[in-house]
Amino acid sequence: MIVQAIVDGIFTGAIVSLGAIGLSLTLQIMRFANFAHAEFMTIGAYLALAAVGLMGPGAPSLGLSFGWQLLVAACLAAALAGVLSWGLDLVVFRPLRRSGAAPLVLVFAAFGAALILRHVLVLIWGHDSYFYTRELQLGVMIVPGVRVLPDQVFILALAIFLVTLLHLYLTHHRTGIAMRAMAESPSLSQVCGIEVDRVMRTTWIISGFMAAMAGVFSGLTPQLHPELGSNILLSIFTAAIFGGVGSLPGAVLGGLLVGIAENLFLLVADPGYKPAMPFLLLLGVLWLRPQGLLGEKAS
Amino acid sequence: MQLPITVTRMGLNRRLLGLLLAFAAAPAAWAQSTACPVKVGGILPLTGSMAPITKKIAQSAELAIEHVNQGGGVKGCPVQFILRDDQGQPTVGVDAAKYLVDVERVQAFTGTISSGVTGPIISAVTAPSKVVQISCCSSASAFTDGRSAGYFFRTLPTSKTQAYATASEVSRRGMKRLAVIYVNTDFGTDMLRFYRGAHKKLGGEILAEVAYNDNQPSYRAEVTRALASKPEALLLIGFPKDAVTIIREWLSQGGPRKVALNNSMRTMDFVNGVGAQFVEDFFGMDNAQEPGPHVDAFNDAFQKKWNTDSKGPGVHTQYDAVMVMALAMNIAKDLSGPSIREAVRRVHTPGGTPVGTGPAEFKKAIELIRAGKPIKYFGATGPIEFDANGDVSGPALVWKITGGQIVTDRTIGLTDMQALTRRVEE
Amino acid sequence: MMGLASYLVFFACVVLVLCILTMGLNLQWGFTGLFNAGVAGFYAIGGYTHAILTAAPSPQLMGNFGLPWLVGIIAAMLITAVAALVVGLITIRLRGDYLAIATFGIGIMIQLVSLNLESWTGGSQGITRIPKPLSTWFEGSLTYNLFYLVFMVVVVALVYWALERILSSPWGRVLRAIREDEMAASSLGKSPLSYRLQSFVLGSTLMGLAGALYVTFIGFVSPFDFLPILTFQVWAMLIVGGSGNNRGAMLGALVVWGIWAASGVAVSKWVPPSHAAQGAAIQVILIGLTLVLMLLFKPRGLLGERAVVSRHLVW
Repeated sequence: MIVQAIVDGIFTGAIVSLGAIGLSLTLQIMRFANFAHAEFMTIGAYLALAAVGLMGPGAPSLGLSFGWQLLVAACLAAALAGVLSWGLDLVVFRPLRRSGAAPLVLVFAAFGAALILRHVLVLIWGHDSYFYTRELQLGVMIVPGVRVLPDQVFILALAIFLVTLLHLYLTHHRTGIAMRAMAESPSLSQVCGIEVDRVMRTTWIISGFMAAMAGVFSGLTPQLHPELGSNILLSIFTAAIFGGVGSLPGAVLGGLLVGIAENLFLLVADPGYKPAMPFLLLLGVLWLRPQGLLGEKAS
Repeated sequence: MQLPITVTRMGLNRRLLGLLLAFAAAPAAWAQSTACPVKVGGILPLTGSMAPITKKIAQSAELAIEHVNQGGGVKGCPVQFILRDDQGQPTVGVDAAKYLVDVERVQAFTGTISSGVTGPIISAVTAPSKVVQISCCSSASAFTDGRSAGYFFRTLPTSKTQAYATASEVSRRGMKRLAVIYVNTDFGTDMLRFYRGAHKKLGGEILAEVAYNDNQPSYRAEVTRALASKPEALLLIGFPKDAVTIIREWLSQGGPRKVALNNSMRTMDFVNGVGAQFVEDFFGMDNAQEPGPHVDAFNDAFQKKWNTDSKGPGVHTQYDAVMVMALAMNIAKDLSGPSIREAVRRVHTPGGTPVGTGPAEFKKAIELIRAGKPIKYFGATGPIEFDANGDVSGPALVWKITGGQIVTDRTIGLTDMQALTRRVEE
Repeated sequence: MMGLASYLVFFACVVLVLCILTMGLNLQWGFTGLFNAGVAGFYAIGGYTHAILTAAPSPQLMGNFGLPWLVGIIAAMLITAVAALVVGLITIRLRGDYLAIATFGIGIMIQLVSLNLESWTGGSQGITRIPKPLSTWFEGSLTYNLFYLVFMVVVVALVYWALERILSSPWGRVLRAIREDEMAASSLGKSPLSYRLQSFVLGSTLMGLAGALYVTFIGFVSPFDFLPILTFQVWAMLIVGGSGNNRGAMLGALVVWGIWAASGVAVSKWVPPSHAAQGAAIQVILIGLTLVLMLLFKPRGLLGERAVVSRHLVW
């Protein structure tokens, strides 16, 4: 049972990780908690739905419940979500920053934006349930007592792939390196001539892209609904902070650990308290090691 | 013969004379006594976590209003329906109710679904302002314990009927060792409470009770926990959207395919959501919609107007709630709260002439009412008879999923239900 | 006419409760710079404490002691204060948005406790038959509501006066000094943490009071009264009205709740019932837009704080 819970946790954690990456980046570079982040997961999911509506999800292949078309749809959706994410910054957050608003005003604006985004989705798609595919996967028993879905394995592999790509970008591409510099020290980076605007733009786009990917695959199991993102928001925050804000491996590790912790918690505790789980974890982290597992200690 | 006497500001005697003189042209006489249009309110969670099921419920209410108006309205006046969203938030719902009652001056209203919203409305608006409220869907048993001063009714039987009937069917199918997964709201906990007793009384054993919070992205952990107790069957109490997630998870993890459901799952949304090929022989209960012309008429009318089937939680009970309100308002001697309240029970009098659903039947009902004859309303859910608390007790039916379709398996009539209740509660 | 008056009296009572709630938050955020995103939690503690102590006994519930109304109010404030102390000790060291996340989580946990601790709180069924003070003196609901309105006006005036006195006292000045420049204040020997904690506790106590007054007015309480959306609403009230300003807080409560109620009426009038769900979605979008636009164009709120002081650089 425990092994199953851990395995389940790893798979839920993969999705949380993808969401946490983007949040961690904005938290570190923009230095505000973007409560609208989760809505980009939902937006990504619904955009992919629209794309799939045009193309069809594709016949199940390779034991997965979908075909390559969904992947293409996901990429398209994620790209669009990334642009939208940047757009949100242009329209809302940047003007606020320019006018010297307190960081917490930005947080509140993010709340408001999240509300708007979510209800625009409701306006368009309503509250009905939507599916990418009607296929139902049956768990494959890999080890006695542990069942795994092929879809889950795929999502994990995809998450690892995306994270690796991002890591390479951050370490080898100019803008990526600039992002890391800005994360460490914004003022110093400006002095070194780093184009702040470009870095910010890239941050938002990547953040939105990752979130959308997480959203699409979250919607796979098993359906989409407008609260898809906001339901995981708190887990994502916990993961980002747990792993250490600004650290990419930290976000991944944080996501996996949060996923595992949530599932283990449920073995012992009353499921009625399940939504509280990420917070207990978060409080513990903030109390004991506020910089997270892999973060830098605040100077 | 009973003359309908309407008291208005113009004074009793003039009214009586006017009515007597105009008796041949009755609709016109009635129109003089009431300000037209007659307003009726509705409060539903059009946004919020209940929203997926509310759309059809609102459509059902609108259909009822349409039928009422086509059948003659209330006291000769057309009915205007004012629908407000409670957003699932009690403060918003109470404010909406107060506005409807005080400013819009609705004579009665229907609503709402979540007990967290219905409760304060009863306490802060319905009882103090003495306005009749009929809910299609608010199941918390506590509401009809007298605190509403008799102004609150519901066309949804308390979970007791469903719970006992479910236990009876589960027992009949030999599903003794059961795991229960239930939604952690008033509806779920209420139903489980009744179910527990019945199941044990009928010789079964509940191996696990796992609560779930709605709107979660994943229910793996809950399902794993339920499966850990190695049950032979599952009882799922909840709502379609999350139920789909849970059942898919259950099947994925190799859970047994003997599944009992509650009435909310009696919708194609659920069947299609999980996948028709996977839900064969799943069954559930519902308040009896006895097959018959009245129910069919409703289903057809709904399908025709909205181009979608009428299956789903609350759809039939909402129609009946509105119809009952309209009938009661016609029966009542005037449109004051106490009069309407008193008239609600006369919507179904023993020995009355049966009237059913649809505009023609409503017109018939009005004629009978005007003639002072008692009526017996058979609604979209079956006979609507309120007990002393404002609850409807009724027969139940067992439905099951066969070949991707939801079909009625059998009905448990009123006397059988009463016998079952006695057996469980002794 | 009577109907409109009756509704407005009711509406005003609710707004006055929200005023107290917002002023409590104003003390924490406007004057101390603490981002308390768990407003609903403290509101809940106050409401439930009062309900459990004063409601009529019920066979299913362990509490419901039927104690006098005043006992309930005082206890609600005390218990909320204690809870705020505990929460404060855990979270007060946290940096701005971490404090927000932590308090948000705490608010959610409190709500979950109220949902799951059925034997005390009634779980999702809630607690009913919460008595209203002096209800036997008044005939009819309109007269009683009028009385309650007058009563609330008195309470709010008292709270306002008390807050203004506290804030212009030496204690209040230190508070503002800490908000503006913590290092300077501590170099003068004032312990910022201790002041922040005091402010947090005091503000939360007001929230508890508001909770008790609210459940008294409605007569019913359930976990659904304390969902995160409430926290969002109170924050909106503070930002729209103007943080750092108690009159602004009250104005914000009136304006935001007014918009919320009025937009509901507008949707019901202009949108046919079959599209009501979409109309409702538009209502929320409009509310969100109003807030974001307020933030963009009138960030100080309608009645911003009087003295302009330096803010920490964003980054």
